[in-house]
Amino acid sequence: MAEVILTNVRKTYGAVVAVEDLSLSIADHEFVVFVGPSGCGKSTTLRMIAGLEDTTRGTISIGSRVVNGLQPKDRDIAMVFQNYALYQHMSVYDNLAFGLRNRRVPAAQIDAAVRHAARTLSIETLLERRPRQLSGGQQQRVALGRCIVRNPKVFLFDEPLSNLDAQLRGQMRLEIKELRQRVPTTSVFVTHDQVEAMTLGDRIVVMKDGLMQQVGSPLELYRRPVNRFVASFIGSPAMNFFDVHVTAVPMGFRLSADGIDLELPQRRFAGLGAHAGRAVTIGVRPQHLRLGCTQVDQVGLSGQVMVTEQLGDEQVLAVRVGAGDIRVAGIDPELSLPTGTRINVAVPMDNLHLFDAASGVAIR
Amino acid sequence: MSTIEAIQAPRSRYFFEALAPGGRRAFFLLGTVATCLLFAFPVFWLVLTSLRPGYAVYYVHRGSDFTLDNFREVLSQEIVLKALWNSFAIATLATVLSLGVTATSGYMLSRFRGTIPTAWFGAIYVFRCVPYVSWVLPLYFVTRAMGIFDTYWGLLLPHVAVHICFFSWIMKGFFDGIDPSMEYAAMIDGCSRWGAFLRVALPAAVPGLTALAVLCWLYTWNEFLFALILTAQNTPILTVVMAQFVHELGMEWHLMSATAVLALGPALIVTIFGQKYVIRGLKI
Amino acid sequence: MAGVANPMAGFRLVAVDEKKRFMLALIAPAVLVLVFFQILPILTGANASFRDWHLNDPKKTWIGLTNYAYVVRDREFLNVVLPNTFGFLAASVAASLIAGLMLALLLNRQFPGRWLVQTIVLLPLMVAPVIAAIMIRWMFNDQFGIVNVILEAFGIAPIAWLTQKWTAFFAILLTDVWLWTPWFALLLLAALQSLPPEPFEAAQIDAASAWRTFRYITLPMLRPVIVVCVVIRAIDAFRTFDIVWTISGGGPARATEVFSIYAYVEAFQFLNFGRGSAAAVLGAIIIVVFAMALYRLLNRWVEVSR
Ligand SMILES: Nc1ncnc2c1ncn2[C@@H]1O[C@H](COP(=O)(O)OP(=O)(O)OP(=O)(O)O)[C@@H](O)[C@H]1O
Ligand SMILES: [Mg+2]
Repeated sequence: MAEVILTNVRKTYGAVVAVEDLSLSIADHEFVVFVGPSGCGKSTTLRMIAGLEDTTRGTISIGSRVVNGLQPKDRDIAMVFQNYALYQHMSVYDNLAFGLRNRRVPAAQIDAAVRHAARTLSIETLLERRPRQLSGGQQQRVALGRCIVRNPKVFLFDEPLSNLDAQLRGQMRLEIKELRQRVPTTSVFVTHDQVEAMTLGDRIVVMKDGLMQQVGSPLELYRRPVNRFVASFIGSPAMNFFDVHVTAVPMGFRLSADGIDLELPQRRFAGLGAHAGRAVTIGVRPQHLRLGCTQVDQVGLSGQVMVTEQLGDEQVLAVRVGAGDIRVAGIDPELSLPTGTRINVAVPMDNLHLFDAASGVAIR
Repeated sequence: MSTIEAIQAPRSRYFFEALAPGGRRAFFLLGTVATCLLFAFPVFWLVLTSLRPGYAVYYVHRGSDFTLDNFREVLSQEIVLKALWNSFAIATLATVLSLGVTATSGYMLSRFRGTIPTAWFGAIYVFRCVPYVSWVLPLYFVTRAMGIFDTYWGLLLPHVAVHICFFSWIMKGFFDGIDPSMEYAAMIDGCSRWGAFLRVALPAAVPGLTALAVLCWLYTWNEFLFALILTAQNTPILTVVMAQFVHELGMEWHLMSATAVLALGPALIVTIFGQKYVIRGLKI
Repeated sequence: MAGVANPMAGFRLVAVDEKKRFMLALIAPAVLVLVFFQILPILTGANASFRDWHLNDPKKTWIGLTNYAYVVRDREFLNVVLPNTFGFLAASVAASLIAGLMLALLLNRQFPGRWLVQTIVLLPLMVAPVIAAIMIRWMFNDQFGIVNVILEAFGIAPIAWLTQKWTAFFAILLTDVWLWTPWFALLLLAALQSLPPEPFEAAQIDAASAWRTFRYITLPMLRPVIVVCVVIRAIDAFRTFDIVWTISGGGPARATEVFSIYAYVEAFQFLNFGRGSAAAVLGAIIIVVFAMALYRLLNRWVEVSR
């Protein structure tokens, strides 16, 4: 059990910058999720923590020991790979025991640890099989088992669920959560799936193009994204954005664009003062839009229904507002809204997100 | 695109398909039998010659006296027995050494990028092309100078050198087909780089290694030029001994054939047991 | 700041060195063997090629490019050896590729006795090339050879196979194809068996004929393997020595000499080791260039046809 601290870590491959100036401290027992689009440097960061890649600059320490230059085997970590990376030529039992045997643990102790881990993950009946004879979910469990038998300081996960089908993925997500309550080891989890990030992480690190965008708890990221990228990445369906022009009016600001005309009070949106006469981006989550007329402390939009998606417990609408489409979620599934219907939607002012149109930075 | 259109184009009738099913089967059977005859005939002739007494070999196709005396005679010659043993030992040792040396080299080519692997790859590509004549002759002088001429080492190491380039290349292919994350997992599980290579990557490459081992053994067992030039009386090698039976001085076809049939035995055993692994493992 | 930076730099150096050390250790044995048993002899030969080095009179004086000049002006080399070598290479590779491909396709099917046929087809791999060559020489012998006996049975006059250029060449080619077809068949069969089944199933659904399936699906998928096989085999065919030496010895009257024989004859029959070495070096350069060009060309063919 240990904390992991990254200080000004940078990694380049020739001219390609994979990770740029990353500083992060992960507390003991914390579960941190790295999330971001493909190629943003998540795996590279994880592999640097594991010692599979050396850092170009910066230090990494695990449990208050600087580990730069230490071999992976000496870092006391365990890792689950996207394709499981089970040893194909060994039985499940030997896969689990391999790490302990490398460390010359007495056989009786190994046996106890293996059986305990197998029981924890309910794979006791599979111990004599080869990895090839297992289903995807079972292989995944063996890979997890290989980590927990060792009782390392840190668990590292590199997209462990992305090879599983949707249903199994949901189930394994729960199992990992449950496992965490029994084995609260410090963990770093890499994924490109924001649902996994939100459900698993104590804290989430959002990355893009090698740069860390924001660190925070799932709720913090959801409620207060620091920029347009984080806002668009977290939440499903994705946040709606539209560009508007700001003009100062008495006691407030007027935001207007084709088909959009909103007024926001000065009192609550003081940050807009600096943007008067310029363009900003409004962000609204589909879940925060409600059908109906504008009430107190709300702003409204109107548009035409283009497409409806029936999900059973709700409908999601695509609505044309001005020149752009927005999505509206949480609509009563019984409601019939043929294409072309004109509707009004409203959103509480508290749920509006405003970003600088050029830089994408949130306006507070 | 063109592939899909081509496949969907109307079925054209070719000679083969125009045949009735029975005719097709007969055609197929005939072709197979003819192929087998063609491939087996020289070996068949060799076996036949080995069974004919010395006075009859010039007319193998005439007369019907057969004898096992030729085998008795060659097996009573000490040099043949010695050569059998030497060839076996050299082929086996050369196989082990070649695989050992090239597995590591191929692994490095597969797993690393940079100047060292690029340079090494270039080197083996170029040296693979160099004709034997341009080094087997000087090799004679070099092994003499090293004092290993006409010894096991003097033949073994050049044989290993022959295989380095080609095998490194093939081995790279084997390791390319093995997911490296298995080795990463091993390194995290407490193996050094060597441990990850020896205990995880190498076992995973066993099918390929087996295939190469079979081919390498057969090649070395049958090799002639190096054996001719790099050995003398102390280390007789089977292929050289066989060829000497039909030297200008004494045309002893029956003895040559008998020895060749003896030499065929181990090769046949290796092939019969090895062909399955070769076909399964040899994917380049 | 500097206090932090320095130890870090130290760590990085250690890490890099450790990886490099591992890389070097992995290739060290191969490099050592290669240096002592291939590069050193090649350099020895290259050195001899610049010297007046007769085996019966090794003066070993430096004579520059004289040996090379002789070889590139030698009519024997230009008009006989080079055409022979490349003609042999092309014919041998083409014939054994086609035969090997047909065998691989045959062996890729399931039929009773497949295993036996496969073992028979692999027979040439088990026979020492030199023995095969001796056997062929024996079978093509004009007086005692079985080939002429069979011809006579069909009423054809016996042919003096090995004393005429083209018939001798034919015998050599036949031996080479016999020896190397199984090699092609084996590699192509391995490749065939590792092809994914889906394209074939799709072709079946599309009602493609056997020939079209082969032409538009099997062959394109085999192309990369074919390229590798052809390049490797071409290099080997270029340096063929033992079967030519055994069957015809380069005769009659040097008419079937290929490059390796030429170098050998210059060095050991005319005892001019320097000149033989020069020929060998020239051959090495030709084949290196040729192999690279061939590889490029064939690779382009693979790319284009994709
Ligand atoms: N060995 C390498 N050589 C050169 N560039 C590399 C190497 N490994 C990664 N990169 C580059 O570094 C960047 C980050 O890669 P990384 O594997 O960390 O992405 P990722 O966030 O894990 O993406 P994914 O979700 O697709 O796995 C990418 O642009 C990638 O192309
Ligand atoms: Mg990744």
